[in-house]
Amino acid sequence: MNKPIAALSRRQFVVGAAGSSLVLGLGSALGGCQPDQATSDLVSQGGSASFSPVMWFKIDANGAITMNIVRAEMGQHVGTALAQVIADELGAAWEDVSIQHVDTDPKWGYMVTGGSWSVHTSFTQLSQAGAAGRIVLTEAGARMMGVAPEACRVEGSRVHSGSASVTFAEIIQAGAVSRSFSQEELDALPIKTPAERTIVGRDVPALDVPAKSDGTAQYGLDIHRPGMVYGIPLIPPTRYGAAVRGIDESAAESLPGYLGAVLIEDPTSTLQGWVVVAAETMPVALKAAQAVQVDWQPGETASVSEADLLAEGSRLARDPSSGTLVVDDGDVDAARATAATQLDATYRTATALHFTLEPQNAVVEFDDVGQCHIYAGNQWQSLILPLLAQVLDLPETNIIIHQQYLGGGYGRRLFGDQMIPAVLASRALGRPLKLIFDREADSRFDCARSPTVCTFAASFSEQGALTGVEHAAVAGWPTLSMAPGFMAPGVAGEGKFDGFSISGADHWYTMPAHRVRAVNNELAQKTFLPGWLRAVGSGWTGWGVESFMDEMAHEMGEDPVAFRLALLDGQGKNAGGEGSTVGGATRLRAVLKDVAERSGWGRALPANEGLGVAVCHGQERGMPTWIACVAHVAVVPETGEIAVKKLWQTIDVGTVVNPSGAMAQAEGAALWGLSLALHEGAEFELGQVKQRNLDTYKPLRMADVPELDIIFVDSDAFPSGLGEPPLIPVAPAIGNAVFAATGQRVRDLPIRLA
Amino acid sequence: MVKFTLNSEAVTSESPPDTPLLWVLREELQLIGTKFGCGIAQCGACTVHLDGSAARACVTPVTAVENRHVTTIEGLATPVGAALKSSWEAEQVPQCGYCQSGQIMQAATLLEGNPAPSDAEIVSHMNGHLCRCMAYPRIKRAIAAAGSELVQGEGSNE
Repeated sequence: MNKPIAALSRRQFVVGAAGSSLVLGLGSALGGCQPDQATSDLVSQGGSASFSPVMWFKIDANGAITMNIVRAEMGQHVGTALAQVIADELGAAWEDVSIQHVDTDPKWGYMVTGGSWSVHTSFTQLSQAGAAGRIVLTEAGARMMGVAPEACRVEGSRVHSGSASVTFAEIIQAGAVSRSFSQEELDALPIKTPAERTIVGRDVPALDVPAKSDGTAQYGLDIHRPGMVYGIPLIPPTRYGAAVRGIDESAAESLPGYLGAVLIEDPTSTLQGWVVVAAETMPVALKAAQAVQVDWQPGETASVSEADLLAEGSRLARDPSSGTLVVDDGDVDAARATAATQLDATYRTATALHFTLEPQNAVVEFDDVGQCHIYAGNQWQSLILPLLAQVLDLPETNIIIHQQYLGGGYGRRLFGDQMIPAVLASRALGRPLKLIFDREADSRFDCARSPTVCTFAASFSEQGALTGVEHAAVAGWPTLSMAPGFMAPGVAGEGKFDGFSISGADHWYTMPAHRVRAVNNELAQKTFLPGWLRAVGSGWTGWGVESFMDEMAHEMGEDPVAFRLALLDGQGKNAGGEGSTVGGATRLRAVLKDVAERSGWGRALPANEGLGVAVCHGQERGMPTWIACVAHVAVVPETGEIAVKKLWQTIDVGTVVNPSGAMAQAEGAALWGLSLALHEGAEFELGQVKQRNLDTYKPLRMADVPELDIIFVDSDAFPSGLGEPPLIPVAPAIGNAVFAATGQRVRDLPIRLA
Repeated sequence: MVKFTLNSEAVTSESPPDTPLLWVLREELQLIGTKFGCGIAQCGACTVHLDGSAARACVTPVTAVENRHVTTIEGLATPVGAALKSSWEAEQVPQCGYCQSGQIMQAATLLEGNPAPSDAEIVSHMNGHLCRCMAYPRIKRAIAAAGSELVQGEGSNE
């Protein structure tokens, strides 16, 4: 799958002493700049020169090291993990390190935080940045001590030679730092072996935790700007095609400080039929939002229901001409034609909401020189900035997003579409503005996880052997709406598909014949903006694939663990390759064996209790996180109530940068999986989500948290991703456990026993 | 105009009397530690102390706190508050962190009366608080750890 990573070719790493500090980064030497020139420009112009340097860290004359973090902080402590990677290679003392989440600037390159990519995609680049810094400091320190660089080692923010040493601060104060690296030189830099690392793999406390433990952490909603007024959006009855026929402000006009209702005319048509009500103060804005009456002409999807969306999904899944081929191995049709027995099943998932606890918001301020400043938490600045440039008819460089902590991301804040009404209302009013969505508006405006339908058809020979599996998955596609440039080509050379919406279907089981078709649900696409919700497609393909694996095992009379182990042979395309795929399916096999052993797989349980198993390879075949999960459930037969007593997971994510942070991500993601399996489900009614607040949408609470037994495989393989993968196997493990407990097969999420 | 005591200081709100206390705190008085989550008292992110008891600021009209004592996360200066903040760091509880002010304010009202709560008592006291990141295991652990710290602290003073 395409990953939105900035191209690094033709750039040069530049290092130089900036008067009283050392700056280090990537400078693309445009316009014939020589590296030295680039260095001095970078120094003299603070890094915003025409050659767009990308700077990762700075060491000041006191030895304080500031790491610039391009990724969004939404609970994963990403800044801490990335700073650990740099600091380790640099030889920094961790106490000297602080982090700064940067505002948008072209110099940072491509800005996105999602896909569980951050550590995986940054590890090598940031290791090289740290190593380059270490080399420069070593050379300078060696000169100061009158020794050869080869005789020095770097540790604890000091360059040591025997019993002598100089600190980073002393080296910077001496101002003797200047060196540049070509990309080729960078690639050749010695990177520490896993055994040499001292900060990667350590439980350093996350740098964002103190402020999040005393109420001082600042989120987008917490911003105040001088002269700021308040806006509250009035959201149209359909996501698309709605038009405002009239606005009746009569009941609001007498409110003190009422500023008016702004009709949002978005030239990109991303938003259609929006109104923002504004007032000098928040209490009056709240009252005005109630008082102003908007008369809308709804769009064509005003009557669409959840049942309509699922019915369309089922229709498309059954139509073999629909969709795009994603996997086409062996001859599924021949297997079907000669099958002695067949097994078909359909799995569905209901609409699900992000429900970030911090509702959508943005603070906007236009300055005197025509720049638009936006204060908000955002996961994909490089996606929304070009759109905002069109909305405002301003150059992208005149729009600056000042990154804040995200009060939950989970994929919702990959699309900063809430900034559109904020910037237009602020400009119309000529005032700085804080736009606040109330909870109901946040839910109606959510880019929900699409309802989905997956169908499976397995063929078996007369001897009972599996001969082929066909899989079709129908969903609304986030990438089609929001980032069509990232659509992937089909394997048959025809059509495109949203790779994020089918990942997980291209699993690591060796199949005699296997065909996967990804199909877009156009009715979903027209009715709402399908979103990337934590784990995205793996959230529904994993539900289908792993539930169906269980069904096939039982059909063949085999144990579900043994059946999977036999197919995880690591042969052919499942042998794996370099980097994080090394070992291939054999690593999945290993975690499955481990979790089976630790959970006591196969043991006798009391009546109405059962164990279920499921595995996953994380978000992408090319970036596998190998996880096996067992769920222990107890079912109350009279009521159908399902209690999850315990979840086991064994996770092989390769190198773990921060074990405590990794465990927090694993626990949170696993509980998300449980919440989506049993607690969270929404439905479309009259074109919009019906469940809009916690009285009807009910994520997992503390009382329903089961015992968790999660372990990481001790591995020094290249790090993969962790924010999402532990979510994936939980729902199918629970569904399979319900079958083991009751004999009843469940095929819909959320799971409900009649 | 509503007068009340906020974090031990006398304050006056000019907001209309039916304005939720939450917005008075956040936007008028600019104390941002108290968070807006659901607006219907179902998530707990806006929890403050009203005369020492936990209250949901999103559904409390400012007029209801006239002449009363309001404490927010910024003013939680009690030994219990200090123990909780420090155990929140020690256990590395917050993920996105948005709910944590409310979690700490709610937990404080448990430990004030019961520094050694059972697991079930913690769950029952905290179950009205949504953590969307689902950091529940560490929230539970940090409350128990803060309680132990308080109990030990008392013991060492004797």
